[in-house]
Amino acid sequence: MEAAFADSTDLRVWDLPVRAMHWLLVIGIGVCWWTGLHNELEYHLWSGYAILWIVLMRLYWGLVGSSTARFVNFVRGPKAILDYATTLHRRDTPHTHGHNALGAVSIILMLGLVLAVVVLGLFAVDVDGLYSGPLSSYVTFKQGRHLAHLHYRWFNFLLWVIALHLAAVLFYFIYKRQNLIGPMISGKRRVDSGDAVDAEMKIAPMWRFVIGGVIVTAIVYAVSIGFYF
Amino acid sequence: MFALAFRCVAAAVCVSFGLAVLEAAAGSAEVAQIKPRQDKLRDMGGAQKAINDEIKKGRIDWDNTVIPNAQTIKDRSGYLLNWFPKGSGPESGVKTYALPAIWQKYDDFVKLGKAAQGEAAKLNQVALSKDGNALKAQMEATGKACKACHDNYRSPDYEKENEDE
Repeated sequence: MEAAFADSTDLRVWDLPVRAMHWLLVIGIGVCWWTGLHNELEYHLWSGYAILWIVLMRLYWGLVGSSTARFVNFVRGPKAILDYATTLHRRDTPHTHGHNALGAVSIILMLGLVLAVVVLGLFAVDVDGLYSGPLSSYVTFKQGRHLAHLHYRWFNFLLWVIALHLAAVLFYFIYKRQNLIGPMISGKRRVDSGDAVDAEMKIAPMWRFVIGGVIVTAIVYAVSIGFYF
Repeated sequence: MFALAFRCVAAAVCVSFGLAVLEAAAGSAEVAQIKPRQDKLRDMGGAQKAINDEIKKGRIDWDNTVIPNAQTIKDRSGYLLNWFPKGSGPESGVKTYALPAIWQKYDDFVKLGKAAQGEAAKLNQVALSKDGNALKAQMEATGKACKACHDNYRSPDYEKENEDE
């Protein structure tokens, strides 16, 4: 087996923060979904804060993180997206290092929807008057109830986009024979013939993540107490 | 000409059918409970929120907010069990979150209703005592009494299209 891999070194594509945030977000959304459905709002609040933390960190990492995490490196205009979409049916296309132009759309859509659903939840008023969102004191009862309805309705949109995301990963796996799940776990993928020489990810230093972590934790804490210091 | 006449007739039939349905729905005394019961439960929810907001803010206005709202919750809760006569569930055809389980397990429903009344009465006393920590604890107890009933006898938010409540 060693020999088979001899001339194909692995290429780092996702850094640890990106992978950790991705899988923690999966868990967080799962917990929120379950606790929301079962009206376990005490835990729903906690998992909601966790998701808020992850999304804010991902946005921060999209600005100062490693090269494949940065928005400037993967968010593309409509022309690039269309160009990429027209190659979708081909099986011989090389790996994109990081998000491809079309995948970027779903990343932005998912991040945006997650954030929107969380923000709606922050203002939502529950039916028991027991575990309302931390910012619900800034809206009336009626508005807060309305926002609670929007909170789950938008979550349904999010579920559809997640389904699309999973379908796309499956499509790449089966049709294009590209395993996208492995790299999201190991952080590495095999080098492809189409890769540029300088394709290697530029890793951001960990201290940057820590600084962001401190700031974002402070923000989430302030939100959780409704900014009543 | 014919098409226009047909449309007029069709519209008239629809309107009168709609009116007949409305009339039938509004006809019985049981069904007449649904709207006011929703309004009153909403009042209680609003009062609950008003007190919770004071706790969140950390500056509790007892005389203007906590005491009157605790009074509202206690007063309304006294009538709680009168609002659910048999026939005022979803079978009435009126939009309601009340589940048929209320009347299938009515004894349990009454038990939970009485427990909620007990908590509401306690809340009223705590409000008058003006003890912040006790208020926090009693608001949780009251909310849990609301939840106990909602979990089993009220359909979850996400199962209804209705946005009003």
